[in-house]
Amino acid sequence: MARENRWLAALALLGGLLFLSPALYSIAVSFQTAQSYYQGGFDPTLDNFIRAIGQYDFARYLLNSVIVSGLVTLIGLSLATMAAYAFARFDFPGGNLMFAATVATLMIPSHITLIPNYLSLARVGLLDSYAGLVLPAISNGFAAFFLRQYIKGIPRALDEAAYMDGARPIQVLWRVIVPIARPAILSMGLFIFIGEWNNYIWPLVAVGREDLYTLQIGLARLYKLNPGEGAVDWPLVMAASTITILPVLAGFLLIERHLVRGITMGALK
Amino acid sequence: MSAITLDRIRKTYPGGPQVLHDVSMDIRDGEFIVIVGPSGCGKSTLLRLIAGLESCEQGEIIIAGRRANELAPQDRDIAMIFQNYALYPHMSVRDNIGFGLELRRVPKRERIARAEAVAQTLQLGPYLDRKPGALSGGQRQRVAMGRAMARDSSTFLMDEPLSNLDNALRVEMRTEIKDLHRQLGATIIFVTHDQTEALTLADRIAVMMDGHLLQFDTPEAIYDRPATQAVAAFLGQPPINLLPAMDLPGWQGPSGCVVGLRPETLTVHASRPAGPAIAGRVTLSEMTGAVLVLHCDTDAGRLVVAAPRSALPPGAGPVWITHDPGKALCFDQTTGARIETPVRAPASRVQAANVIA
Repeated sequence: MARENRWLAALALLGGLLFLSPALYSIAVSFQTAQSYYQGGFDPTLDNFIRAIGQYDFARYLLNSVIVSGLVTLIGLSLATMAAYAFARFDFPGGNLMFAATVATLMIPSHITLIPNYLSLARVGLLDSYAGLVLPAISNGFAAFFLRQYIKGIPRALDEAAYMDGARPIQVLWRVIVPIARPAILSMGLFIFIGEWNNYIWPLVAVGREDLYTLQIGLARLYKLNPGEGAVDWPLVMAASTITILPVLAGFLLIERHLVRGITMGALK
Repeated sequence: MSAITLDRIRKTYPGGPQVLHDVSMDIRDGEFIVIVGPSGCGKSTLLRLIAGLESCEQGEIIIAGRRANELAPQDRDIAMIFQNYALYPHMSVRDNIGFGLELRRVPKRERIARAEAVAQTLQLGPYLDRKPGALSGGQRQRVAMGRAMARDSSTFLMDEPLSNLDNALRVEMRTEIKDLHRQLGATIIFVTHDQTEALTLADRIAVMMDGHLLQFDTPEAIYDRPATQAVAAFLGQPPINLLPAMDLPGWQGPSGCVVGLRPETLTVHASRPAGPAIAGRVTLSEMTGAVLVLHCDTDAGRLVVAAPRSALPPGAGPVWITHDPGKALCFDQTTGARIETPVRAPASRVQAANVIA
């Protein structure tokens, strides 16, 4: 039994390393000089990071990514939670239809909405702005659906107890439902954040101004810099990649505990 | 003044059956009311209507002299204890008890003081910082009571609050709730399917079946003078014996009715007594402590007798059962309504004082 467990653990560790290896490799490369990267050997340096931030403005891109992903997560999660609460707890005219429509949005590929979104934002003059980056992403059908299912699993008697205690619906949501659904909400928040952080197409389409670039756009641009010089400066690209993944990694480690609890739902008692 | 008046309440769930049929009730200030009935009889729905958690399509709910049909639960000044306690799992015992006060903007210091005072009364002092998940069933039940008490409401609704407890704890909490009622002087409306709880706790019992209020009276009246055969059959442990009048030897009441005989009003004899008696034999004898419950196969069908332990010598053969005609109940064969009858007792067993006039 114990022996079996050790084998399993070794296997899991191997699998984990396999998943991690590209990231580890890119981090390793990011600390090399271009010369040693192409000629072999190892010559540790921070120069790639200094260049990515100093020369190519990655600090700005990082800030943009944090602002955009942060706003999308915050606003999107709030809207989704309120919608989920309404869908889970209240009967209102058209409620079922609205919920069906919400679920239906899951089946529409984002590429189909790309052009309509672009045209509507162009019409109201919101391209090339933070609002243009944030607005199309804040309505999240999947989050509303997922949280509704979770909230439906919370005994309605808790709502009723709160009503008897004198709470208004919004207080029930804020003081009872949200704390209990916190693991699910945090997990959802992380998914939204990562999704937006890695979003490439929309920022590419919606933004032309360099000072509004997000990390993903900046990263893609690095390949196209220095045309004609032939070789890509991979250590520089890897340093930029490292800047791109580190915040997400840090965020994950920060709420990983809750995330695991969110996925093993039903631990509610 | 009555604390709560229900006037011809009618309730149908959309697309479902009608669950309440013109239920009317006058509940006086400070009364302990128990609503009792089998599951699905509408008793919980009635309680939820009073709480404001459900609405009815017809009838009027008057609370403290004011029409309350349209009042939201939070505006009715009613506290409620739920069957599964419905404690907030993310809050400590202190916060659970104090939540209602917090919502009413009671200053923090006063709130905590009151929550802790209530917790002391309920012997929850050592658990104030625990979450409900770390409490036993009995302790959770107390927290649920504490949450209702902290708010100083004039009315408490309790929806089968004891049904999740084991037997010993249930008896203990029953006494505590009774004590609490005496201390608080509040109106309590208590829903249960347990007739013992109903009989022991209530000032008045409301018996419900299939959405109808069958009888609303004191426990004594309901036990001794049940309005219908169904009420008589529901209350009483062991249950009342019901048999056609024509099967009962020496029956002097109206013929063609159903006679109800409470097991404890029957007497069992090891030898044939003088006067009319039902012959039979004991098929099962249950020892319940002071009382033996005897299941008998008789000429009049199966009869259950509650007899003192000394009533029969061990290994007795055939038995004869006599009844106390003054305590026999008589029900209409078709409607089930009780027929008030001046019963003429058979010559051998006159107990004039018990004859229903």
